[in-house]
Amino acid sequence: MIGEIRKKRLIEAMLEAGLDGLVLYGNAWQNDYLRYAADFGILEGEGLAVVTRDGEVTLYLDDELEGERAAVECPEVKTVVAGDLIATVSGIIARLGNSRIAAGPKRHLPYGLAAQRGDLRFEDATALVDRLLMVKSADELNAVRSAARLADEGYAVFRNAAAVGKKDYELIAEIESFFRNEGVDDNFMIIGVGGPEVRGMAPPLGKILKSGDLVTTELTPCVNGYYVQICRTLVIGEPNEAQRKVFGIYNDALEAGLAVVKPGVTAADIARAENDIFRAHGLGEYVTSEYTRVRGHGLGLFPDTKPHILEDVSTVIEEGMSLIVHPNTYNPEIGYFVHGDSLIVRADGPEILTRTPRELFSVGARRAAA
Amino acid sequence: MRHGLIQWRENELSLADVKARQAHLQQAIVAAGLDGVLIYTNHVRSAGVTWVSGFTPYWSDGLVLVLREGLPIFLTALSKRVGEWVKSVAPTFEVAHSPFPGKLAGERLAKVDAKRLGVVELDRMPGGVVDEILSVLPVELSDATELFTAVRGQADRAELDLVRHTNNIAHEAFKAGDIDSRYAGDFTGPVERAVRLAGAEECYVAVAPDLSKDRRFIRTGGQELGRTFAVRLSIAYNGVWVRRIETFSAVSEIAARLSSVGAELDRASPALPADGSISAFYLPNGAKLIDWHLEAPHGTRPLKVVADARTPLAAPVPYGILTTAFTLDGETIVASRPVGIGNGSMREAAE
Repeated sequence: MIGEIRKKRLIEAMLEAGLDGLVLYGNAWQNDYLRYAADFGILEGEGLAVVTRDGEVTLYLDDELEGERAAVECPEVKTVVAGDLIATVSGIIARLGNSRIAAGPKRHLPYGLAAQRGDLRFEDATALVDRLLMVKSADELNAVRSAARLADEGYAVFRNAAAVGKKDYELIAEIESFFRNEGVDDNFMIIGVGGPEVRGMAPPLGKILKSGDLVTTELTPCVNGYYVQICRTLVIGEPNEAQRKVFGIYNDALEAGLAVVKPGVTAADIARAENDIFRAHGLGEYVTSEYTRVRGHGLGLFPDTKPHILEDVSTVIEEGMSLIVHPNTYNPEIGYFVHGDSLIVRADGPEILTRTPRELFSVGARRAAA
Repeated sequence: MRHGLIQWRENELSLADVKARQAHLQQAIVAAGLDGVLIYTNHVRSAGVTWVSGFTPYWSDGLVLVLREGLPIFLTALSKRVGEWVKSVAPTFEVAHSPFPGKLAGERLAKVDAKRLGVVELDRMPGGVVDEILSVLPVELSDATELFTAVRGQADRAELDLVRHTNNIAHEAFKAGDIDSRYAGDFTGPVERAVRLAGAEECYVAVAPDLSKDRRFIRTGGQELGRTFAVRLSIAYNGVWVRRIETFSAVSEIAARLSSVGAELDRASPALPADGSISAFYLPNGAKLIDWHLEAPHGTRPLKVVADARTPLAAPVPYGILTTAFTLDGETIVASRPVGIGNGSMREAAE
């Protein structure tokens, strides 16, 4: 159903742009373009969707097991398993002659595909698809709302699992098990454990949780293809004064960012509102690329989609976008700290999706791993 | 993405192990008259770079440039902060940062006055990367997939030990599943938990919920389980991928038979050669083969079907995962086990 709605929007956009065909690439990392057209959550290998202006979508996969799964999970899409993916799809495109074909995402499009197209060249489909990915239909937004519930429940599982003596990857095991039980297809998740020496988050390194540690995480469950993120930080034991003070700054920054969100402002406006709080506390250095990547980003069929919330991004925020605002960055006193909530942009401002309380959670230092 | 434990474990895959692999590849580069080989990586197409460096990106992508001599260079758009993490989990290459890693590759090639660059899976290389390289240096590009496959096809002791260890993780994790579960997710949730608690880097679970109706595997956890069902675990541990499929039943008589078949496959599989054949002695007595295929690491793919009943194996592989489907006493059974990992599996060339 949601796949049909997306396909209709895609065809309309193609026709409006005067295109005869689209070629969209995807893999499990960068799956949004492919999933938008073919509604398949690819896991292994690579795929290409060929969309023609008459509304036909064919999914080409290079992995036999994935082809088998696609046939069951999305039977409405014609699936072809092609060991030589590039040659097969190039042959299909060649039959379309010199009609107007666009392809994307440009950066990831396989070299062989463009090389075999030769002088005819592909037009760049990146902007066309990016716009569809950013500004979502009502049904897509409902899917985003469903994922938000699981982000909150997932964080509760994470919080309950945290205990002195537990290893960081054991927390991930609890979360992933919970998510699989709940039908969550995928989850983008990184973690940080420790104090001022921690400058960012990464996959678990085997660290053992101890009293006084900050435990940071970004949880990003994917439900029916749509990702929603929550960022929170907890302390093992009672937070100290510095941790409480820093939490206040990040909470103010998050609220300042959220307060700006409405149609018509730019991504830069949101970032600036967050960063001004840090600058007011003499922490301006820590909102630069030396210490942080982005101050939030879009969410949808990719966990880190456009627009990136940065002071040099002029993308205009529109109704129907889904975003996370997160002033995550390093703090010299206590280490890397994260705090963020997902939202949908509505005409009257943000609809906050994640409902986990905005507090510095404390896990009893005496709560030991079983 | 990769969610699980990622760390450098010298006792499992040592710096010396990785350097030996790099040396083999550099010998092949020189023999082919190339100035270097470029290998792409992201967490889907990770196998080439993982083999040559022990590193798998949990997110984003990168390139590894292996020149005729010296340390390989990991070229990435990831930040220097993430670069520190990369170095901590893979002390096997130099890490170089740029928003345009292809351009950086071109600059490094220009420094050694390179004329000929081999690219593993050139056709699949992101077009933007190739454009960046050529914008800096008009180097001649050729496909180095065969060259890489030939070097990669030689098993080494560290890799085979990791395959055995990963297979054991899967074997033990299946014990966490409750065969009386009503829904697939009820069975697979505890199994995945057990895999991750054992320190796996990644785990994908798929289920054929009712083998009496369909042998195809899906990822939906909400499917009701039939009288017999099969679960496929795809596990990454320290860069090595293993698949293991087991068939289960809540009917005790069938369950006992399945357990006995599973034990027999565990006994027979390791010593079976990963040569794209299936021994007549592999199947249980009375079983009737429906289908089979062999998977193995290939190029940048952690596991790929490299042989089946219709397609012979084209090039040697370091190890394989043999999947069989057969009927026995009226029940359909699907099984996957690693093959070519017995004590005699290592060829001399790998020493």
